[in-house]
Amino acid sequence: MLLRMRAAALAAALLFSAAAFAGRSCENKLPTVSAIQRSMTLAEHTAARLDDSGAQVVVLARAGQNLSEYGLRYSHLGFAYRDGKLWRVVHKLNQCGTANGSIYRQGLAEFFLDDLYDYEAAVVVPTPEVQQKLLPALRDNARVAQLNTAAYNMVAYPWSSTYQQSNQWALETLAMTQDPAAATRERAQAWLKLQGYTPTTLHISALKRLGARATAANIAFDDHPNEKRFSDRIETVTVDSVFSWLNRSGLGAPVQVIR
Amino acid sequence: MRTNPLSRRVISTLLAALLVAPLGAARAQSGLSEASALSALPIAVSVAAPVMVLSAGAVLTVVAVEASAGGAVWVLERASDGARATLRVSGQAAGALSLAAGTAVVCTVLSTGWVLSAAGAAIAFIPNAVGTALLYNERVTR
Repeated sequence: MLLRMRAAALAAALLFSAAAFAGRSCENKLPTVSAIQRSMTLAEHTAARLDDSGAQVVVLARAGQNLSEYGLRYSHLGFAYRDGKLWRVVHKLNQCGTANGSIYRQGLAEFFLDDLYDYEAAVVVPTPEVQQKLLPALRDNARVAQLNTAAYNMVAYPWSSTYQQSNQWALETLAMTQDPAAATRERAQAWLKLQGYTPTTLHISALKRLGARATAANIAFDDHPNEKRFSDRIETVTVDSVFSWLNRSGLGAPVQVIR
Repeated sequence: MRTNPLSRRVISTLLAALLVAPLGAARAQSGLSEASALSALPIAVSVAAPVMVLSAGAVLTVVAVEASAGGAVWVLERASDGARATLRVSGQAAGALSLAAGTAVVCTVLSTGWVLSAAGAAIAFIPNAVGTALLYNERVTR
């Protein structure tokens, strides 16, 4: 009986975790056992650290790609929040091979089962006031979808509403929860400017831009102002710039690294 | 007809396994790669099998792969005693994995569950209680 219940529990769990590996590399190859082991270990360690933090909401990042060329450490962030004894992550993902992005609520396992470049997580704990305003919104599907723009651009311009990449969705959603007036993307962006947020400036040559735009559905530069674009300056929302701003503005604590 | 009690138990009760995987691979591409591989990749995973069959280092052999509504069913047999486990995988996952009868599958035990692999590639993850607590997937917007 015990075994039968266990089998049933596993089967049920699987229904919920069916897409456990969605989020993995877009390359058509199966993951290695080692990659799964390391990702699951990182998820387990992160859960333990978050449990110990006493926080209800944190900003959680992963290192999905090697961005050292741009002086960046982490590639993607989302909000992790406590749901009873568990942690859930709300974040935006780009559908592989498309120019669309969607909001997902996932477990820590899914968050890290994404073909990581490095098995390291970074966490910033917002102030209790910021957490308090974020928490109810993260539990509410309508609110997390409120500022989502499906049109995905990996290097979306931070001060435009044409496209939206995943870190930008998170940043604008943070703004929306902190100020009731920031109910649209434009207003959320205005709030962010007012609060001193500054994006990362990437130096991407015309040749690289051309190649990227020609071969990837989810990269575009037409939302960037001409004067910046044509001088190879591409501004976008990065994890590192968000973490830096949270700390500088006093809205969040220093970055904690989890391995 | 003589029936192996372990395999019968497995088949009749525990083994119902299942899974499946929807796969729509979604990837956070907030980073700035220059358009590397962006094609969808389903991967899949599934499973639920009798725990006793899933011991560390257990070597299983795929004895049957059948198409079913919305997916495929794999029957795995443990080499040491013939105990069998039945797993279901989604069609997309099954296609991506292209598992064939006769394929050798190895079981690896993690603190969060079990990983089944073939030729070095993971083909299924079966969470235990710790792993289950870390897994959840809900697509909020289309």
